[in-house]
Amino acid sequence: MVDQTRREFLKLGLAAAASAVTASAIEIPMFGSQNSSMQTQLNNANTQVANLKNRVNTIVGFISLNITEQSLLEKIVETIIPTDADPGAKEAGVIYFIDRALAGDYGQSANMFMDGPHILPRIPASTTAPLSINPTLSWATNPYIPGASTSPISYIGGSVVTPGSGTQGITATPRVGSGINYQYPLNMREFWRIGLDALQKYAKDPNGAYKGPFESLSSTNQLTLLQDLWGDKPTSFNNIRPSDFAYELTFMTWAGFLMDPIYGGNQNMVGWTYTGFNGVNFGNFYGEGKDQKALMVATTPTRLKPASLAQYQQQASGSA
Amino acid sequence: MPTTITETPADVVILGVGYMSGVIAAELSDPLLNNGKAYSVVAITKGPYWDYVNDFSTTKYDEWGVGLGRKYDSPLPLQSTTIRNTPYQFALPVRRYTMPIQYHALGHGVGGAAQHYGGTMGRQGPWGYQMLSQTNTRYPGTIDTINPHNDLQDWPLQYYQYEPYYVQWENAHGLCGNYNGSTDNPGSDSSGYPWMSQNYRLPPHPLTPAAQLFQSTVQSAPFNYHPFPHVNALASQPYVNQYGVPVNPCVYDGYCGGLCDYACETGAKANAAYRTIPAAMKNGNFTLVVNSFIFRLDTDPTSGLVTAARYYDPQGNVHIQQGKVFFNGMWGYNMIRIMLLSGVGAPYVWKSDPTMVSGTVGRGMTNGYSPYRGTNVSGTLSNIGGNAYPAGNAGGGSVDIYDLMDDNFDHKNLGFIGGSQIGVGGYPGGGPGNITFAGGVSSASMGGTFKATQKDKYLQTKTVLSSTPFAPDLPTTDNYVDLDPHYTDIYGDPLARLTYDWTPNMYVGATYLATKVKDIFTAMGASNVTVSNTVLPGAVHNDWWGHHLRGGCRIGTDPTWSVWDKWNQCWSPTVKTPFNIFGAGEITNTSGDTVPSGTHVAGPQSYRAAEGIKQYLGLMTPGLVP
Ligand SMILES: Cc1cc2nc3c(=O)[nH]c(=O)nc-3n(C[C@H](O)[C@H](O)[C@H](O)COP(=O)(O)OP(=O)(O)OC[C@H]3O[C@@H](n4cnc5c(N)ncnc54)[C@H](O)[C@@H]3O)c2cc1C
Ligand code: SF4
Repeated sequence: MVDQTRREFLKLGLAAAASAVTASAIEIPMFGSQNSSMQTQLNNANTQVANLKNRVNTIVGFISLNITEQSLLEKIVETIIPTDADPGAKEAGVIYFIDRALAGDYGQSANMFMDGPHILPRIPASTTAPLSINPTLSWATNPYIPGASTSPISYIGGSVVTPGSGTQGITATPRVGSGINYQYPLNMREFWRIGLDALQKYAKDPNGAYKGPFESLSSTNQLTLLQDLWGDKPTSFNNIRPSDFAYELTFMTWAGFLMDPIYGGNQNMVGWTYTGFNGVNFGNFYGEGKDQKALMVATTPTRLKPASLAQYQQQASGSA
Repeated sequence: MPTTITETPADVVILGVGYMSGVIAAELSDPLLNNGKAYSVVAITKGPYWDYVNDFSTTKYDEWGVGLGRKYDSPLPLQSTTIRNTPYQFALPVRRYTMPIQYHALGHGVGGAAQHYGGTMGRQGPWGYQMLSQTNTRYPGTIDTINPHNDLQDWPLQYYQYEPYYVQWENAHGLCGNYNGSTDNPGSDSSGYPWMSQNYRLPPHPLTPAAQLFQSTVQSAPFNYHPFPHVNALASQPYVNQYGVPVNPCVYDGYCGGLCDYACETGAKANAAYRTIPAAMKNGNFTLVVNSFIFRLDTDPTSGLVTAARYYDPQGNVHIQQGKVFFNGMWGYNMIRIMLLSGVGAPYVWKSDPTMVSGTVGRGMTNGYSPYRGTNVSGTLSNIGGNAYPAGNAGGGSVDIYDLMDDNFDHKNLGFIGGSQIGVGGYPGGGPGNITFAGGVSSASMGGTFKATQKDKYLQTKTVLSSTPFAPDLPTTDNYVDLDPHYTDIYGDPLARLTYDWTPNMYVGATYLATKVKDIFTAMGASNVTVSNTVLPGAVHNDWWGHHLRGGCRIGTDPTWSVWDKWNQCWSPTVKTPFNIFGAGEITNTSGDTVPSGTHVAGPQSYRAAEGIKQYLGLMTPGLVP
């Protein structure tokens, strides 16, 4: 289904600036004009820093996850990256990262192609019923497309040598997490709502292996249950492949541990400290006097205390 | 209410403002390069004008925004593409960008894809231009077995004819390298690598210890190969090109390539926005139109010529830009799509019988990039560690050999042609690898045991060597681009549909080359040298596409299979031939060789096209440039 309003909105929003500019109207910031450009850059950075500070300061409370989702997701992310002698998902605030992401572009699927038709994954995967689908009018009526017509088009699968043999399915077989894999008519926020709910149903199923809310299970059982999702065992997900949701859970948890703190996770840069990542410390952020050119050909590693984007931009704007 | 606006007609209209278009803009707008003629040149692109100081310098170090948000890339709601393996399948649309990047976003805005590319370069040598005839001479009667439904063809010109254009292109963009990189790699001639009449303009980047070890290993017996420093387009020194455009050098801060599309904060990363477009801008007769989406080319029914390009501005108004001659620099399947939508050039029509296919636009697509799952060789050097966090740029520090490429070794009875460029030792931290596992997550990426494997992973005490060699993908009649019947872009026009699967040459070659790389790694003293993930026929290779599509809109020797002739000028007729449109890009490469850079191979074609356009403008009546 085409969300026409959203598309109209995007059309207008895709580009804000005036469309035509002649040569003289565009400044090329090469050596000569660097000074004025630097000033603009610093002004921009100042505004950004102010915005960032606001954002960082609001990392308390939830803006997307409801109370039941919060307690469930908290335990899920702590299962994926447990706290041991070192900080885990809990200390990194991964759940805040996911909450912010779900409230923003990620949850709204703002940069995804969401138009139909939506060809759902075949459950079970062995289903071979051919597909017959109507073409769009703009295709059927374009005068230059050979063979275009308004009749439905049938797809039988099969390889180029033996059509219909079934050696290749009705669609390609995408890998979990690849760009053509997610074909659901749901934005990511809806997908998570349904996924979390189905996960909890699976945990609680009186005839199932766990028979209780996810939060109440032993940590071993929590991990096993998440493995079940990867193995597509639960049937409580209906048209959704459980492994697709497991991918999202695992990916977003690690992202919340390792992405820049402006996005709400990786708080105090615990994820970066754990992995030895430098963030935007290129060797001299805290005056260590190290040189990138030497670091990049070194034979032994040098641990650099990480620095975040917000720190970097503060330094760039001179207001550190 | 959106309205229709007719713009002042121009001499030259450039469609898309990326790498190739930049050359046309610089070459056609300067009267000094056109016998004093001040041609009016208009260049139109979707996406904004990027400048590295304001757009990138403090905001590029944002792995989430760049990697998943793709803030520098073409938005998928605007336009996506659909993908399938065979013509009997329904093609699924690419719905999302993922991390690490599997589906590469393409160019958006001035500078195109190269605003955030890796910058890896490397010329294609003489063999690559004559793959078909060379194979038929040396291994007669084998090509149809090696490549079922074969559609491999020779280029319209030979290497030596492109050589002067290579030089111009390398000068314009400030390529770094040293063809005389080792004591065993003597000066150039036209037969052995590097077949060059002059060295690269800038020196290579400093070599890593692993690269130096590779170099000394492969130079010695039993290999006796010819290593040279990796060629790239990330300026190693300050530089001024032939148009007088100054270039800042690389500062080696990383966040450059790796598994994200990072833009460059100094302009060291060569692309049109910082090399050729500034040159065009100095000439008063050049107009740049940004944030405008080209959706049709108008043609004249009597002459067949292209008369105008139609585009939407951000407010939805339709603009009509008339011109005398057009250059299609919209990249890959966008180049193909605009022609198919507008009836320019003969559309390719697939048939299961390869002798029954017809048309040219969309035909012969190949993939020039290692797929997600390839045959991999790995090994560990326990005496060399390093900093795996961002340090160094995306394309520097390594050493390459071409000895296992082209027909540089005997292919008798091997079942494949060509080979692979093999390189070792790039800077470990070209880009953050936080996403490396975060995007490749599986059921194994959960729990305390996995967490422990991530501790201090950026502080490496060993070097893991890894290589995924594969032989060139060859054009067949079964891999092509056409218009999708079911999905449209934001304006309601059909998306491009890609029908593609690996050709046997790739995986048969990969299996053989892996054994060769294994020998090299072992001789380097690596431990645990293993070949894994052997790719077999029928495996799924459909989700790692995009940025190195080649050959779907080929230049060639015959209008029955090629869209463009030896001047990159259109000679593919629908009813009449639209002579006044030229095009260049990786997608116009006649064949897919395994040089690291299809862009480097496309570049000379943009200079060739510029010369063709200059001559076309001097013709008395429209027709092919002789
Ligand atoms: C992540 C990534 C890494 C890469 N790494 C390398 C590398 O290491 N080495 C290498 O050699 N190559 C690399 N490439 C490929 C290289 O960037 C491209 O080959 C090169 O930029 C293509 O140049 P082009 O002029 O054909 O197209 P582009 O530079 O992409 O320009 C196309 C232009 O057309 C515009 N356009 C498209 N459609 C429309 C429309 N409908 N209306 C208006 N404008 C339109 C686009 O906005 C863009 O400005 C990489 C690409 C990517 C994405
Ligand atoms: S490492 Fe060099 S080329 Fe890469 S983005 Fe930084 S300055 Fe540019």
